[in-house]
Amino acid sequence: MTLWFLFALMTAGAAFAVLWPLGRPAARLTGGSETVVYRDQLDEIEQDAKAGRIGEPEAAAARIEIGRRLLAAADAESTEPRSSHLGSHRAVAVIALAGIPLLALAVYLPLGSPQLPDFPFAARSRAPLGTQPLENLVARVESHLEKNPTDGRGWTVLAPVLARLGRFDDAARAYRNAITYSGETAERRADLGAAIAGAANGVVTDDAKKEFERAVALDSKEIKARYFLGVAAEQDGRGADAGKIWQEILADAPADAPWRGVVQEALARVNGSAPPLPKGAEATAGGMSEADRSTMIHGMVDRLAARLKQNGDDVEGWLRLVRAYTVLKEPEKSRAARDDARRALGQNEAGLRKLNEGLKALGIDG
Amino acid sequence: MIAEAGHYALVLALGLALIQSTVPILGARLHDAALMNVARSTALAQLLFVGASFAALVTLHVISDFSVVNVFENSHSLKPMIYKITGVWGNHEGSMLLWVTILALFGGLVAAFGNNLPLSLRAHVLAVQAWIATAFYLFILLTSNPFLRIANPPIEGRDLNPVLQDIGLAVHPPMLYLGYVGFSISFSFAVAALLEGRIDAAWARWVRPWTLVAWIFLTLGIAMGSYWAYYELGWGGWWFWDPVENASLMPWLAGTALLHSAVVMEKRNALKVWTILLAILTFSLSLLGTFLVRSGVLTSVHAFATDPTRGVFILLILCIFIGGSLTLYIWRASALKQGGLFAPISREGALVLNNLFLTTACATVFVGTLYPLALEVLTGEKISVGAPFFNLTFAPLFVPLMIAVPFGPMLAWKRGDLLGASQRLVAAGIGALIAVAVLWAWTWGGSAFAPLAIGLAVFVILGALCDLAERISLFRAPLPVSFRRARGLPRASWGTVFAHAGIGVALIGIVCETTWNSEHIASMKPGDVAQVGGYSLTFDGTAQRQRSNFREQIARFTVRKDGQSIAVMTPSKRNFTTRGSSTTEAALLRRGVSQLYISLGDAKPDGTIAVRMYYKPMVLLIWFGPVLMAFGGMLSLSDRRLRVGAPKPAKAGRALQPAE
Amino acid sequence: MDDEGFRIAGRSTSMTRKQRRLTMIGGSLAVLAIAAALVLNALRDSIVFFSTPVMVAEKHIRPGQRFRLGGLVLAGSVVRGDNLAVSFKVSDGSATLPVAYKGILPDLFREGQGVVAEGALDSSGVFRADTVLAKHDETYMPKEVADALKKQGHWKDDYGKAGNVEASRKPGASQ
Repeated sequence: MTLWFLFALMTAGAAFAVLWPLGRPAARLTGGSETVVYRDQLDEIEQDAKAGRIGEPEAAAARIEIGRRLLAAADAESTEPRSSHLGSHRAVAVIALAGIPLLALAVYLPLGSPQLPDFPFAARSRAPLGTQPLENLVARVESHLEKNPTDGRGWTVLAPVLARLGRFDDAARAYRNAITYSGETAERRADLGAAIAGAANGVVTDDAKKEFERAVALDSKEIKARYFLGVAAEQDGRGADAGKIWQEILADAPADAPWRGVVQEALARVNGSAPPLPKGAEATAGGMSEADRSTMIHGMVDRLAARLKQNGDDVEGWLRLVRAYTVLKEPEKSRAARDDARRALGQNEAGLRKLNEGLKALGIDG
Repeated sequence: MIAEAGHYALVLALGLALIQSTVPILGARLHDAALMNVARSTALAQLLFVGASFAALVTLHVISDFSVVNVFENSHSLKPMIYKITGVWGNHEGSMLLWVTILALFGGLVAAFGNNLPLSLRAHVLAVQAWIATAFYLFILLTSNPFLRIANPPIEGRDLNPVLQDIGLAVHPPMLYLGYVGFSISFSFAVAALLEGRIDAAWARWVRPWTLVAWIFLTLGIAMGSYWAYYELGWGGWWFWDPVENASLMPWLAGTALLHSAVVMEKRNALKVWTILLAILTFSLSLLGTFLVRSGVLTSVHAFATDPTRGVFILLILCIFIGGSLTLYIWRASALKQGGLFAPISREGALVLNNLFLTTACATVFVGTLYPLALEVLTGEKISVGAPFFNLTFAPLFVPLMIAVPFGPMLAWKRGDLLGASQRLVAAGIGALIAVAVLWAWTWGGSAFAPLAIGLAVFVILGALCDLAERISLFRAPLPVSFRRARGLPRASWGTVFAHAGIGVALIGIVCETTWNSEHIASMKPGDVAQVGGYSLTFDGTAQRQRSNFREQIARFTVRKDGQSIAVMTPSKRNFTTRGSSTTEAALLRRGVSQLYISLGDAKPDGTIAVRMYYKPMVLLIWFGPVLMAFGGMLSLSDRRLRVGAPKPAKAGRALQPAE
Repeated sequence: MDDEGFRIAGRSTSMTRKQRRLTMIGGSLAVLAIAAALVLNALRDSIVFFSTPVMVAEKHIRPGQRFRLGGLVLAGSVVRGDNLAVSFKVSDGSATLPVAYKGILPDLFREGQGVVAEGALDSSGVFRADTVLAKHDETYMPKEVADALKKQGHWKDDYGKAGNVEASRKPGASQ
């Protein structure tokens, strides 16, 4: 309500600004005139001549010139009519009183949000913690860390949350900071690797692989790192190596380990008894219904295809896509993907060679 | 409530601008003083409302109200207060609001202090001003609205970009805007003259202070932007002929020409049609500068495609104002009473020459800036036009202009005496020749061009001093007389002396910096010594320091001259942990008007660090020159004769006497 | 009215009104002609073309011809040698070109980010850059590079701020 009162007050002020001059007596509404300027100029000439800044002949010539202008201006001014049109005054007054509010509302209402209150930062950060969405809590932790970047514990808490929110790049940075300030552990290295892989759409990149290797070097029992090294091997097309790594994990694993299923699933995949999943799906697709899983797999494949359309340099990616389509029993798509790959790699001879070799290995040469 | 009140105030300003753009013109047609005076009160009210709107946006940034999209995107609760405020115009929407606020400010100033203007001229000027304002209000409200809200506001803002948190970057855009927008007044005066169909010497007198204000701000703004680039970008360059820079240089060149041609008009009632055209062109170039830089179209045509409504709106505004005013000019200019002609060798002639070279130089910059754009539109080919182009075109045009500068003030109005002027400049000429000879001998075997260019600069500076000496009869009259004359000399004449000398000073800086700048890039390890410009710099090592939101690697260099340790320089590299970004902080050491400049590159694990070192002789003169010019402008502005405001009532009451 | 005064002044010197006008116009034309000549000359000699790696291959740019190369710095391709020598590869998604540079790279030079370098090809097909350009903007993507990438369909919205702004405006618009 206060807001609308304020609006009304402002509108009244604007209308008043238009009405005010209309109500003043006409006699007082005078402006300046040209003759004043020319008289000033004549004065200046006098001063300059007196001070010797210009010679007398020049001063005389200038006086003649300015004098002419002065006379002309005075003539023009004396003939200027003055009038007052009450009709038009009334029309303008009506425009001011009706037009301004109407126009203001017509423009403001579609654009403005009068129902929204202010949200100053100071008032909001006092709100109780439990009522805030996760993003807000993350933002608060982040702003705390902005001020105290050396708080390793903060980074350690923040990193997995960021990873869960899908902000993999930020998660990777958070893990790095956690490692810098709270020390290196196999678990943190493995999590960092997973975040890097997450940022690359599930592809275990060289950087990610380095982290996993480092984690395993720190602790040869680190499950996550070992598992992802298997994924890396699978993505490199070394299915047998991947199988070996996962075999070993299962051999070491306690019988009730919650992640057993995931590893078994992966193992089955490389052994040929289940369709190989595109990267990144392995970890999650484990406990799903068949229909869900199929949708998810297709989603992953589509995403991979979309990514390759943007960045066609990824030979491995193309191979994976071709293979995925083959496994999903979509031969046309598989062939189309192969052709797309050749087109995208047109300039890149090494890439083409690699692609052809890979296709040959998959048995879909052509 | 603050956001909505600000939003509504902006809408009301639009409503007032619409009335201000029509009613006063109607009043002028009907010779109705009351209707004409509506312009004045609406202009003041408009300033009030748009000012309130801008204040609201500043407040929203200060209290970090992230329910406002503009604040959310461009601010952060942790930003230092000063950058929260300057961040208001660090983005497109906010800067447009600042632009239009300044526009309203100038309109309000004309309304408040334009008592000396005839009613109908003031009504027309303010109406035209309101046309511009209307277009901008619509543009802001419809395509770049800074007051849009988010229903479920995020808790934290987006932007904490450390690089943009710099005081130089914060101050120079408003300066440039004051310049750009200031020229809108000259434009409005020009269009008003065309609408009224009459223009006289008095017009030039009225418009001159406004042009001068705009010119002063633009001069300072350009200089400040250049200095910011110099110390912040870390590679020691101060002018890149970048489209963004050119966009500010073009209105400056045209505006400088306008200042000079307005003098001719004021004194001799000549060059009227040309002055009108210059006023239109200057503001058109300002519009182009604001918009094309903002829309990004100067660097790429495709930037338009990212936000088509905005792009189309921008094109429309440019077409309507530039195209419209030029059409009006073609249509009405022939109806204006022609001014007189004059002898080529005269003060007027010299000022025409000045105009000719300034506008031609402006045209070459225009071609160099927009040619790539035109080519891309026409052929799809992408090219870049860089410093070599401008060195080959702009510089040759400036040389004759500089030679002519000292002659101008020496020539009398109407019929000048070139021989006499030359005789009076003999001292300056001799001084310049001595400078050339000395430099030639000193830098034997070096650049042949630099001594000549410095000689030219010395000629300009001494020429300005000769002019001063001439005016106060120095050495010809006894000293007390000269002193009295100096005190009696109009401030505008002092202004000319300073402004002209300023160009020479800047030229010395430019030539020295570009010719004798010594650069040394090396990868250094602690204990290494580098020799730059006669100084020896010892790299003592680096230290890490943790600051509130960044980690800083500070390198320490001991500067020695002739074995004497004179200073320690500490360039640094800052790493902003949370954002994973880094900035380079150059270290500057002033030696007279020269500077030593060190900036850091990448550090290697083995402790070596890449270092860029420069010795830049006379570099500070580059910016000192423009400051002198702006100072000259201010002196001129303070001249009693040009002051805006009410005429003295005593004079107004005096009876008209024949002056002959 | 004024004109009369000038005519009087005009007669007193040897030049007529017409002659004066001709002198003025002639002088202006001379300056403009000189300027036009300078501009044309400079446009022939001093402009630099912009090219992406794939355009380099298509257009058969001669070694030694200066041009601006734009693209993304290929991830993992930056090799720092001794004495500030740096080599990296620039890619536009379709082709890559090796670049050699000596000096200090700008702060914002990063793998996977856009870059514009100026220089020329040497005889072995390596681009010898003498300038590597960078602007001070965290989300900076040189416009030429962005355009070239967009044209070839390799544009990802998160390269430039424009994309982010678009995305973030939605909540505001939908309220």
